[in-house]
Amino acid sequence: MKISVEWLKDYVEIRETPEQLKDDLTMLGLVVESISPFQGEPVLEIEVTSNRPDCLSHVGVARELSALYKRPLKYPPCAEPLAVPVERIPYEIRIKDRDLCPRYTGLVMDGVRIEASPAWLQHRLEAAGMRPLNNIVDITNYVLLELGHPLHAFDFQRLRKGKIVVARARPGQRIITLDGVERELDEDTLLINDGDGPVAIAGVMGGLDSEIKPDTRTILLECAYFNPPSIRRTAKKLGLSTEASYRFERGADWGDTIQAAARTCLLIQQVAGGEIAGSLKDVYPAKIKPVRIGLRRRKAEALLGVTLEDAFVTSTLERLNFKPAPKGKGKWQVTCPSYRADTELEADVIEEIARFYGYQNVPNTLPRYNSQGLASPVFPFENAARRILLGLGYCEAVNLSFAAENEHNQFAPGNGERVALRNPLTEDTQFLRTTLAPGLVKSARRNFNHGIGEVRLFEIGRVYSLDSQGRPLERNTLGIVGSGGFAGCNWRHSQTAYDFFHLKGAVVALLRGMRSEEAEVVPAAGVRWLNPGDAAALIVGGERAGVLGSLHPDLAEEYKLKQPVFLAEIDFEALCRKVFQPVKYEPLPKYPAAERDLSVVLPREVSYGEIRRGILGLGVSQLVSVELLDVYEGESIPAGKVSMTFRFVFLDRRKTLTVDQVQAFSDNILTFLRSSYNAELR
Amino acid sequence: MSDHVILDRIEELRRQFDAELAQAASLDTCAAVRDRWVGRERGIITGEMKRLRELPREDRPAFGQAANELRNYVERELNAALERFGARARELEIARGRVDVTRPGFPYALGVEHPIKRLQAEIEQVFISLGFRVFDLPEIEKEYYNFDALNMPRSHPARDSQDTFYFDETTLLRTHCSTVQIHAMKVMKPPVRAVSTGKVYRRDPADATHSPMFYQVDVLALDEGITMGDLKGTLEVFLKRIFHPDVRMRFRPGFFPFVEPGAEVDISCIFCFGKGCRICKQSGWIEILGAGMVHPKVLRMSGVDDERYTGFAWGMGIDRVALLKYEVDDIRLFFENDLRFLTQF
Repeated sequence: MKISVEWLKDYVEIRETPEQLKDDLTMLGLVVESISPFQGEPVLEIEVTSNRPDCLSHVGVARELSALYKRPLKYPPCAEPLAVPVERIPYEIRIKDRDLCPRYTGLVMDGVRIEASPAWLQHRLEAAGMRPLNNIVDITNYVLLELGHPLHAFDFQRLRKGKIVVARARPGQRIITLDGVERELDEDTLLINDGDGPVAIAGVMGGLDSEIKPDTRTILLECAYFNPPSIRRTAKKLGLSTEASYRFERGADWGDTIQAAARTCLLIQQVAGGEIAGSLKDVYPAKIKPVRIGLRRRKAEALLGVTLEDAFVTSTLERLNFKPAPKGKGKWQVTCPSYRADTELEADVIEEIARFYGYQNVPNTLPRYNSQGLASPVFPFENAARRILLGLGYCEAVNLSFAAENEHNQFAPGNGERVALRNPLTEDTQFLRTTLAPGLVKSARRNFNHGIGEVRLFEIGRVYSLDSQGRPLERNTLGIVGSGGFAGCNWRHSQTAYDFFHLKGAVVALLRGMRSEEAEVVPAAGVRWLNPGDAAALIVGGERAGVLGSLHPDLAEEYKLKQPVFLAEIDFEALCRKVFQPVKYEPLPKYPAAERDLSVVLPREVSYGEIRRGILGLGVSQLVSVELLDVYEGESIPAGKVSMTFRFVFLDRRKTLTVDQVQAFSDNILTFLRSSYNAELR
Repeated sequence: MSDHVILDRIEELRRQFDAELAQAASLDTCAAVRDRWVGRERGIITGEMKRLRELPREDRPAFGQAANELRNYVERELNAALERFGARARELEIARGRVDVTRPGFPYALGVEHPIKRLQAEIEQVFISLGFRVFDLPEIEKEYYNFDALNMPRSHPARDSQDTFYFDETTLLRTHCSTVQIHAMKVMKPPVRAVSTGKVYRRDPADATHSPMFYQVDVLALDEGITMGDLKGTLEVFLKRIFHPDVRMRFRPGFFPFVEPGAEVDISCIFCFGKGCRICKQSGWIEILGAGMVHPKVLRMSGVDDERYTGFAWGMGIDRVALLKYEVDDIRLFFENDLRFLTQF
């Protein structure tokens, strides 16, 4: 809202500089965003919150200043009387839907000369950011900017049967509004009709047909009060926000329709030379009672944490035009002004007291903190996972939760489930992501494109799905992406390319760090975004908790990736149920352990996991670990075979193992490998 | 054999030994001298001692004593020499093994926390230390929790400022974390100290200062006797911990439908310390959050006796704090995962 300081001076004495006004209004809750000059005069740009429509005018802002500076408010002059002895132009006002239009005040003037407004009027409108049109329209706009009450002037000659009928639209009714657009209406829309049909959309915009034209001689002035939610609904539905609808939907002054009409009438008499031809009619079928609120000084003190004098309470309220009637010691019945759409409860009145007490003057205190602080249930899990992955060299990523249609099609789960938004903003926000993978792939690609080939990222965030009834669900998920060189270029370390086993190593370290139940990684099928050659499932405590592998070559091609990208996605909620196993101490061994290495040649299709399970299943209780030291294929190894070197560690907790015993264990294992897999000792 | 003959012989051996040891120039030659003289099997001294039995009985004590003295002497001299040569050898070894410590160390990689997630954790820690319970809440919400129960019915103009993504008529992506107020009142009886952080969504096209997804923190304290002073005091503690111990706070009237009285909170500009600069648009203040005393209607809708209990609530954008603290000029950078950006934190 643009407020001209010169204009304000019509209603309240101002000695302060514009900068001082800016600070003072801001501290009252009317934030002055800027002071910009208009033809050398300062204009305040005020951000008026939606609860204070009464401040969407110069008098409204002057009222706040008069209360703050304790200076009288000068209300602008009005025409008087508003009745004529002889009704030269009879007219009728009828309200059919009083719930949407509780009050409608009308006045007919004739003999107006339509011309350009005088310079002073044009200047003020322009200072407040409005374009002058003609004197009648400009005057209604002037009063809107002055008092905050929107008015409308009809060309009376165009009102058929001299009638105004306020009623809900019939479905399918149409009107061409002032902006030349034909609009179809529904039964929620309130219309101003003449004797035959619609002439205005109430509180939003007038009709083209009855607008003020150069030859207009007689006008009907409308000053009404409309139901705010109804105007809001209509303005939203029509996508039409006007100065009038902006004020009506927030709540205009239901008490000043006569004064606003009288003020407008005076200005028309002075500027456009009209005279009253049909007396003011105030049709007010749904009388609005002023809001009365019980106020207790003690309650105000308890809410604010200050001590208040009764005199301060009453004088503050009176300056704001609230009327406190005493109801015993420190108690009042407060009658609120008709323009205050925001006062309904005691707390609202207490806010008025607080504003003028000064929020800054309320002493800062701390409450009794009588409760125990508690982290969220998921925090320990997330924190552990983050710490471990950060320590392993993965940076933390955050992607937007949305998915575009093409991403959705590329990465959708097997059942093609889509979590669609009803009102997306752009193509990129049509869906919510069902997997973290596309976001991580795009993050990796962005880095590749910036010349960063070594990418290791993780993200903990929600992915979305639908339940059996099609309702959206969210699930906390952990994603990891790795690609490019591993551990940089360094004189101490030759560059290795990030591969599946780096990713698997990170996942295994994560599980170990979180003390998970027994876990294994097994081949997996059916994850459409993973390469079937290395697609794997992570099984924790017997339950599938995630997948890992390299990005499917089709997608790698589609995303024009310059290098292989490895991805893991873990259902974090499933993982959380399988981690933080209790720590159980085992006494340290008293006897030395013995190591044995064994190199064997095996058929290529036998997996390490299977061999390992077999060896551990032999029942050698002294076998405490099996490690895979080396895998070799090539020269000296027959085709279709692979050489694996294992290291076994044996330990007996009751005695030192002899060389013969260790040899016997080792032979036992070799016999098993020979008989089960045709293994040959290398 | 007379005594002096015996002693002459011992003396002769000592001279021989001295001469040999003097010739030894390294740890190795020194060790060879040791083996020749005091070797357990064939050492010269051992040999002399073996001759003892061949001597007449009366000569044995004198010879034994002299031979023992010689052995002691030889061993003492040898040890001293070995130690001398050993120390020099260690020095040489160290010199050979000297490394250029200015070369780079092993390239352990360390991940970097996302700046917003780090702030989020920091904020939660401040509240835990103040006795608050952290709630982990859904992003997909019912309209009731996001709007109606917070005194924002559908007809409320304040809803315009929070353009919302909907799934269907009543299910939406939360537009703020203020939902913590309703969830906390549902599961806790006063005293309530609740906080929640996380992602929120609004239909704002992405630009340097807007993102359709961003982060918020929202707070609720509800108890007998909670005042606006308590709100200000708690906020002051919080803002000083998050921004700077010297930061000043400005508290002015503001409007949010779920609080009354409502407040806007500014902090003194952390760049110019209130003198006025580009970031605070010369005002010396930066608008940082919205706050207030919980609206009586919000309490009533959640079944809390608004005569007996009062409370405060506030909400703040975490991204906004990150933008300010690190002088980041584009909010979109937080969600692009550009390592050139992330590794700066």
